[in-house]
Amino acid sequence: MLEFLKNKSINTPADYAKIFKEIKLIKHQFTPINIAILSSYTSEILKPYISVELAKKNYFSDIYFAPFNQFEQEILNDNSDLYLQKPNIVIIHNMIEDMYPNLASNFTKYDDEELDLITNQVIDRFRVILKSLRSNSKASIIVINFSMINIDMLDSVYSPTKQRQDQYIHNINQELLLLCNKINGCYSIDYMNIVLNIGLQNWIDRKLYFMARIPFAVKGQIEFSKMIAKTIGTIKNQACKCLVLDLDNTLWGGVIGEDGMSGIQLSEYYPGNVFKNFQRSILNLRNQGVMLAIASKNNFNDAIEVIQKHPDCIIKESDFAAIQINWVDKALNIEKIAKKLNIGLDSIVFFDDNPEERLWVSRKLPQVKVINVPKDPMLYSQSLASCNYFNFLTVTNEDKNRTKMIQESQNREELRDNSKDLNSFLASLNMIVSISFANNKTLERVSQLINKTNQFNLTTKRYSVVEVADLIESGSIVLYLSVEDCFGNHGISGVSIIKQRNENEWVIDTFLLSCRIIGKRIESVFLAEIINIVKNKNAVKLYGQYIESKKNHLTANFYKEHHFVLSDKNNNIWEYNMQKIPEKIHYIKTEVKS
Amino acid sequence: MINFNQLKRIMSDILEVSLDNINEDSSPDNIEQWDSLSHIKLVMAIEAEFEVKLSPEDMTDMLSVKLIKIILEQKIS
Repeated sequence: MLEFLKNKSINTPADYAKIFKEIKLIKHQFTPINIAILSSYTSEILKPYISVELAKKNYFSDIYFAPFNQFEQEILNDNSDLYLQKPNIVIIHNMIEDMYPNLASNFTKYDDEELDLITNQVIDRFRVILKSLRSNSKASIIVINFSMINIDMLDSVYSPTKQRQDQYIHNINQELLLLCNKINGCYSIDYMNIVLNIGLQNWIDRKLYFMARIPFAVKGQIEFSKMIAKTIGTIKNQACKCLVLDLDNTLWGGVIGEDGMSGIQLSEYYPGNVFKNFQRSILNLRNQGVMLAIASKNNFNDAIEVIQKHPDCIIKESDFAAIQINWVDKALNIEKIAKKLNIGLDSIVFFDDNPEERLWVSRKLPQVKVINVPKDPMLYSQSLASCNYFNFLTVTNEDKNRTKMIQESQNREELRDNSKDLNSFLASLNMIVSISFANNKTLERVSQLINKTNQFNLTTKRYSVVEVADLIESGSIVLYLSVEDCFGNHGISGVSIIKQRNENEWVIDTFLLSCRIIGKRIESVFLAEIINIVKNKNAVKLYGQYIESKKNHLTANFYKEHHFVLSDKNNNIWEYNMQKIPEKIHYIKTEVKS
Repeated sequence: MINFNQLKRIMSDILEVSLDNINEDSSPDNIEQWDSLSHIKLVMAIEAEFEVKLSPEDMTDMLSVKLIKIILEQKIS
């Protein structure tokens, strides 16, 4: 960082404007970088913030702001100003409420299937522009994800809607991330996370929003710009490969040479848990590919004994790629580590609680990145997380489970690409369909499906939770189905209600599947089990009805395809000959739970 | 009383004009850079610097340095 930017407090818009002015006068001292920002709002207001934050990383940025809400025109036209500017970095920031205003103002009117359609449309728009951008330019692409919809007219809406909306934004962000991961040199910034960190209530400045459609207040503008600069810094920088750690008062509290094994702080309880937690953070880095090394002034045997034998020392000797525990100068030790690991000094990060050691190392080896370690060990993990030296752009902020889900659905798509024959694809999924009788615990979800499913729904009859309970009470069979395949569990995703007409005649009153699972012959398996279940109840006749709706054409021939015979043309009622044995789908395992 | 020099400095930094060119009569009419976007930037900067909250009406009334001064003095007193 240039000397004049160090130790300067830059917090307010006026501070940024002032520093921005100064930077422009000495721009030749920085590495130039061309940035283009395409957004659905007036993003020019970010210019001083992004410029100053990048200057702190020694970049002078020339930023092109495309006219707002013109991202498609700019990207798809290969003669646009965007490409004339020859950007190194292209940032795309669209508000979901700008792309689909109704999502904010009229969310309740959409059912889940329509929301899925909107997701597909949004993602398709992104897919088209990202592919076009990728083929027209070599720039790194940064896609900003969506945040909670932040106009407060929603506050008055009852909270399940808000939750549903939040969940929806999560889902669409997940799809966006999946897409970004497929495009070379495309990174995503978790904008939603920044919003949540600052808080939705503080995020928006109503005056700015309503008068200028600026979606965030000053604080948010600054935080967002910092995130952009950080991401650009990481894209441009060769990420560091190795973290060199001190031991005493770093990996544990206290000094092993003085306090001994039982005296040092390292446990599940305060203050030892602070250090154990820091060890976890370090192990996380290791799991993400960062090499670990030790440079410590200690008696080798004392120190190594802690790592080998202390029950709460969760970092093991084998986690370290290089260990230098001796009384030699740390700069020399770091040079040895670099040599052993065959990496440059510039890809080493040094973490030591002792400010003198830090100063010494940064003087002797200026290429080494020295972390300005806070005095309070509770802040160690944070200082490591925010140091920007390691590249985690490919590992997102999403929690582990989510990453797993993404992998699952990626795998699923890859499989589809690879399988020419649908049956062999379906067989490779190893589907297990469980059919169960609805009970109190599942009524809620069952009724939800009954009320929201439109496409694969033969009668589109709607029943509340209470009505479903009454049906069960009065002897109807209410079944639900859940599906698991090699990638994960889809949960409850099908419902059928079979009513008894008289002694030995039954009618399929409701038969529906969630659209996520159709097209896999699961419906055939479900129907076959229904036939078996009523057969066991001594049914002689089973009827099924199709009631046409605007959306359920998909199922018009369902009974016909499953060997039912039309028995009442006016009411579209079909009859099944109970002597027949339903077709078995060999690649789907079925289990019926009582 | 607000610090008039502070206000002038902010205006000069945000509008990117020299300090000498800012006086009580400066307005969007005689400072080319003072367009609607800069106006919003000014409002954000003034709010942070003087720790005041400006209303949409204030924003539309801030048509010259003199008027900004008057509005701020009302807020601060």
